[in-house]
Amino acid sequence: MPEAVAHEVAEVARETMEKLAFVFALDEPAAASPPTDPEHRVQVAFRGPRRGMLEVALSAGALPELAANMLGVENPSELSADERTDALRELANVICGNLLPRLFGENAEFTLGTPVALREDAPEGAGGAAADCRLALENGACRVRLFLEGGGLPGGGGRAEEGAAS
Amino acid sequence: MAVNVLIVDDSGVMRAMIRKAIELSGLSLGEVHQAENGRAGLEILESSWIDLVLVDINMPVMNGEEMIAAMHAREDFRSIPTVVVSTEGSRSRIERLETSGVRFIHKPFSPEKLRDTLRDLLGSEVFHA
Repeated sequence: MPEAVAHEVAEVARETMEKLAFVFALDEPAAASPPTDPEHRVQVAFRGPRRGMLEVALSAGALPELAANMLGVENPSELSADERTDALRELANVICGNLLPRLFGENAEFTLGTPVALREDAPEGAGGAAADCRLALENGACRVRLFLEGGGLPGGGGRAEEGAAS
Repeated sequence: MAVNVLIVDDSGVMRAMIRKAIELSGLSLGEVHQAENGRAGLEILESSWIDLVLVDINMPVMNGEEMIAAMHAREDFRSIPTVVVSTEGSRSRIERLETSGVRFIHKPFSPEKLRDTLRDLLGSEVFHA
């Protein structure tokens, strides 16, 4: 079951980066060594049948290309830090919005909070992610973690559960 | 006829992406107004002539569903063609929105999807040949 959820998270993240920003990603084992450059982190809280939070972390080297592609700007250096952060916030928002029905079923109604960018020196979470996946990108890496209040894993009839049952 | 557009989304990046996709669609574009939540969007509707609204669902202050409900409560705003552009995945919420007369485009979307939806909604006469 945890593997099925992590697989679903990775698949949604990969599809979203591809469609939203033309950035192509490959799966990496979650235990792979952390990226050597700093990470930009964004969190999206959600509530509905389950409450929780999705965190997307992108290595600094990958963010300019992602933001430039989303905005259709040829030279990533033209973008401000705010524009880059906003691009990452929107990426996290779209990943979260597409992930929840895949995990909890198409009839589940969720409300998403405004994506929040964390300061670079913000401490790591205390662990306990329901899913943790890392994707390799051309210019860095992306890590996506799903946290669910009360722990446990999705049980709402989404694809992850179907995968676990098969 | 040039079409005046209002884009309501709390993400500046997404507003820019939608605007670019509209420009690529060949729509005869007039003024483009932007707002970062439903309340600000309603204020623009009060002060400007708007022919098309594109609105997100999840936004602070006033979300897209609330903005659409407020529009439908007003006779002068009710008939403005409206497209929800959102990550919303709940089938029941999407059906509720579509029943109220708005179109729905799921994020991430392609420029072609937006173009086809706008052509269907507004008619081909407001597009460049």
